Amino acid sequence: MEKPFILHMLTTAKNLSPFDANMALDAGWIHALSYLNVEPSEVQGLVQDVIFSRSLKNLQRTGIFIGGRDTKQAMDMLKSAKRSMFAPFEVSVFADPSGAFTTAAGMVALAENELITKFHTTLEAKNILVLGGTGPVGQVASVIAAQAGAHVRMIGRQLDKAQNIADMCNNEFGEGKITILAGVDADKAEYIKTTDLVFATGAAGIELLGAELVASAPLLKVAADVNAVPPAGIAGVDAFQNGTPIKGSNSGAVGLGAMAIGNIKYQVQNLLLKSMIHTEKPVFLHFEHAFEMARNYLKPVA
Amino acid sequence: MEKRSILHMLDPMTNISPFDVNMAMDAGFDVLMPYSSVKLDNVHGLTQDAIFSRGPAGIPLTAIFIGGRDLGLAIDMLNACKHAMVPPFEISVFADPSGAFTTAAALVACVEKELKTLHGKEMKDCKAVVFGGTGSVGIATGVISALAGASTTLTDHLSADTALDVAKAYNRRFNCELGAALAGSDAEKIQLIADADIIYCTAKAGVQVLSAVVLKQAKQLKVAGDVNAVPPVGIEGIKRSHFGAPLIHAVNSPGAVGVGALAVGDIKYQLQNTLLKLMLETDKPLYLDFRDAFMKARQIV
Repeated sequence: MEKPFILHMLTTAKNLSPFDANMALDAGWIHALSYLNVEPSEVQGLVQDVIFSRSLKNLQRTGIFIGGRDTKQAMDMLKSAKRSMFAPFEVSVFADPSGAFTTAAGMVALAENELITKFHTTLEAKNILVLGGTGPVGQVASVIAAQAGAHVRMIGRQLDKAQNIADMCNNEFGEGKITILAGVDADKAEYIKTTDLVFATGAAGIELLGAELVASAPLLKVAADVNAVPPAGIAGVDAFQNGTPIKGSNSGAVGLGAMAIGNIKYQVQNLLLKSMIHTEKPVFLHFEHAFEMARNYLKPVA
Repeated sequence: MEKRSILHMLDPMTNISPFDVNMAMDAGFDVLMPYSSVKLDNVHGLTQDAIFSRGPAGIPLTAIFIGGRDLGLAIDMLNACKHAMVPPFEISVFADPSGAFTTAAALVACVEKELKTLHGKEMKDCKAVVFGGTGSVGIATGVISALAGASTTLTDHLSADTALDVAKAYNRRFNCELGAALAGSDAEKIQLIADADIIYCTAKAGVQVLSAVVLKQAKQLKVAGDVNAVPPVGIEGIKRSHFGAPLIHAVNSPGAVGVGALAVGDIKYQLQNTLLKLMLETDKPLYLDFRDAFMKARQIV
């Protein structure tokens, strides 16, 4: 009898996200077991228990998912998991804390797709404002966009906090090869004059960019909002909007709403979870792989 | 729909072990239910909830696994399960905290086999030392070895008192006669192994406990077993896959052989798999601990 597919799901939180549990089971994992309140220092022990208890053939039917809320912690846990394995005792690992990696990847890839198809340009050298940018989705969207060549400014309520998080993103996620800048809400009116793209990644139900600022953005091309709860994070962008013009934009910008982003996030997470099942060689997946998957998914079929 | 088999996995720790999850799935249980941070006081209630909810057809398809890190607590929990059963509402229970019962049973069974086949010796004629003897695998190894008749000493690398406390506690619990000693320096290790017939190394992964220099001082060593699979291994000169290969650094103990972590691991794996399957196959409920593990391990080797 073929042995079942087992996904071991680690989280630093006191519960696993039912979102991730549903996604894992629907992607084809037969069993999804949760490990809660996991300390990063416990990852090695848990991972070694995973790899030393199945035959090499059945390790191909075994995977690890890392959830939680904190992006840096999840990346550290992913690295620790990788270091804890010895070839050929290896299994695939996928980190997606709060779903932030796949959400951010989906949003940036969708925005890029709008730039390509409607504005005949790319993310290269574009000015991006990431509003409510210090949270998990904002951090990762900033990093992905910066890695794709954009000039990113992360906006928070307090400059020093935003600056610290931008520095952390540059060093930890960008390995010092990217430069995300920081800014405060109060200066939005100034920044918006030179902004090509806006990502709104703040808390649900808070308007981060009002109609007046949308109208005063002469270069704005794409505005994306992950907030599905009214009022919208960006005035004029509703949750179902998927590349239609934003009412009130004088530059002909298009909007991407939470449902459109959510759909691609769903597809990307599903495909990454499936890729762990179908790979011969273990994979270690994080936001970069999520972005690659999102780009491939959106690529028009030749 | 036909009823599925369910294994209720009780653990005093924050999380159950993924090792046991993989093993239980591969042994054929359809559904695993983890219960973490379980206290001894909870076991009675959990057990009765497990037995009274499935009906006579479901009873043979239901079992309890007890994990954790603490051997004494696991045995107490196993006993608490047993007392909570109300025949015919009675299900099998298997305790294997940290996998220590099956690992230790496999280790001692492998060592015993080499002792018999290569040296014609019985456990009862031998002196054994357990390095890393105060960890869960070390304690279980010591207890199994002592109950099998070997004069066995548990050692701790930091404190003689720790070793003594552990030995006393487990002697009382299992009615055995474990000795205790400090094995910190090479000089202390040399003294301990000088007249030992058997060495078990159950210390932390990735730590070499016995070097070639120390092993050279063993005068009547026959078999050394090591459960550390992470290089450097615990006993210098043992390869992880060794099962009865000459122990090259024990130059003053002719015929001494080693058993490595993968050889022990292979038996442990078969053993844990066998015991888990046994709970699904048995007609009559079983209560499995290190003693049953050792009996089965002897059959497997």
